[in-house]
Amino acid sequence: MTVQEGVLTKRRRRPLPPLGFIISLGFLTVVIFGAVFANVLPIDPLAQNIVDSLKPPSGSHWFGTDELGRDIMARVIFGARTSLVTAAGAVIIAALIGVPIGLVAGYFGGWRDTVLMRFIDVLLALPNILLAMALIAVLGRSQTAALIAVGVAGVPSFARIARAQVLTLRQLDFVSAVRGFGCSSSYIMFRTILPNILSPLMVQVIVLSSVAILLEAALAFLGVGVPPPTPSWGEMLRTGKSYLYEAPYYAVLPGLVLTLTILSFDTIGKQMSRALDPRSGGGTPGELERAGP
Amino acid sequence: MTGFILRRLAQLIPVLLIASFAIWAMIFAVPGGPVGMMVGENATPEEIAAATRKLGLDRPIPVQYFNWLTHAVTGDFGQSLHSRDPVTKLIGERLPATLQLALVSILVALVIGIPVAITGAVKEGSWVDRLLNGWNALALGVPTFWLGILLILLFSVELRWLPSASRYVPLWEDPNQALRSLILPGLTLGLYVSGILARFLKASLVSEARADYVRTARAKGVSERQIVGHHIMQNALLPFITIVGLMVANFIGGAVVTEAVFTYPGLGRLLIQAISTRDYPLIQGCIVVILVIYMAISLIVDILYAVIDPRIEYR
Repeated sequence: MTVQEGVLTKRRRRPLPPLGFIISLGFLTVVIFGAVFANVLPIDPLAQNIVDSLKPPSGSHWFGTDELGRDIMARVIFGARTSLVTAAGAVIIAALIGVPIGLVAGYFGGWRDTVLMRFIDVLLALPNILLAMALIAVLGRSQTAALIAVGVAGVPSFARIARAQVLTLRQLDFVSAVRGFGCSSSYIMFRTILPNILSPLMVQVIVLSSVAILLEAALAFLGVGVPPPTPSWGEMLRTGKSYLYEAPYYAVLPGLVLTLTILSFDTIGKQMSRALDPRSGGGTPGELERAGP
Repeated sequence: MTGFILRRLAQLIPVLLIASFAIWAMIFAVPGGPVGMMVGENATPEEIAAATRKLGLDRPIPVQYFNWLTHAVTGDFGQSLHSRDPVTKLIGERLPATLQLALVSILVALVIGIPVAITGAVKEGSWVDRLLNGWNALALGVPTFWLGILLILLFSVELRWLPSASRYVPLWEDPNQALRSLILPGLTLGLYVSGILARFLKASLVSEARADYVRTARAKGVSERQIVGHHIMQNALLPFITIVGLMVANFIGGAVVTEAVFTYPGLGRLLIQAISTRDYPLIQGCIVVILVIYMAISLIVDILYAVIDPRIEYR
């Protein structure tokens, strides 16, 4: 088949029923359920039992036990909580800072645009994992620091998307009409334009969640993220790496859950952006924005 | 052309100034400030006063920053708080290791990414294409550090073919040893980068394939191989160059993590060690060096793009 034919057939074909989307949604539901109800479940991520250390997966410990005899599955479930809380906090920070920057820069243009976008350029001057590491070097190592660091790293993508959307919307009649009524700029930005750009921003929320989970795990893996003994997927991979010979499952299973979570978010984000813009191939811009691990 | 380069350089200046100011200001985040960092916790007031004068902290803030900047520009970031070695020397020791890893990873990424992109574009919409898309999604979605661990489990723990921890051996001194140490980290980082490369190159190829000149070439009876290899590929590489900057960012981030997985003595691991010991001059040095490398590559890419593509005006 020639390249040209390939292009044409692809354009006419209707998308397959998104099986991956359903699986992803199901998997994330389980992860979120586990994270929310971790306290209620009869598991303890901190209970040590040295006699049972580094035991392979069995009926009583489905994922095996770690070097202190703690149940790995319990730690994975509580790790989900650490991951999701950090990611959610980070996405909220990124949106609260990034969206207003993008709105103001796009709406007013001129010097405000130049100054704000120069600031965004500075944030982009470092790959985002390094930006996060630099922030942690200043803030010290804690869950809050990890959350802020990951959040700040996500600011540019929200700012850019909001700005691009505003640039197209501000020319439209309904915006001019509201301006004609004599409404203030902030009313137009936050009450007229913002509600109309929520869909692309929601896609970005999903995309950035996946980036944030990965970044949080990478920071913990590097030993600068959420400090132990708080269970975290990245930290488990870090420790598990020291026991690859004795207990290979230790690093493999938490890593598998982490990977599936990230892939699920990616799949859902792709599906959402495809639904919003059927012309796009469904590739998410954020997939490549994660810059790093 | 010269004007274009100069303007592009001028755009970098505000970003570099603000970023360098932020990096310099990090030193004030140390508990006890830069003075406490130098004299320790049990210092007498005289020692503190002496250190303050020595560090120039009794001078106005802009002067302090300017002094640091002039030293930094000449490559002097001061001493490591930990080993007391000059920061520049420590970075200089690690930089070749990272560059060597980069070289191998780029090779891996090209060898895997280009064929995947071309096959995907030629067979667009077929099951081969969908398979390759899935492969790409995995290459991009699987965290580098987990992939590295899986590779260690397979090649070091199970098969015992390759070492699980990589040393830095210069390629020109002992190519055999160097490659044994570089295969796993190179594969880990290279696979990830190949995912980005393949995705963008394929998108670029597919959009070029729709162009009129391709139809003309086909109508003339040019062979399919010629069309893909010469006509489409040459034009598709142009838009592709613009994403190299993005790839460099991914690459640097990926290198930091990969070095940690394989305990490879590169710049990334030096930075992590510096952060965990709160060795601020060393942190500053590492970040500045990475920032400058990253910006220099982005700049070169932009200029190259303008040089290669005759359609771009330098005005």
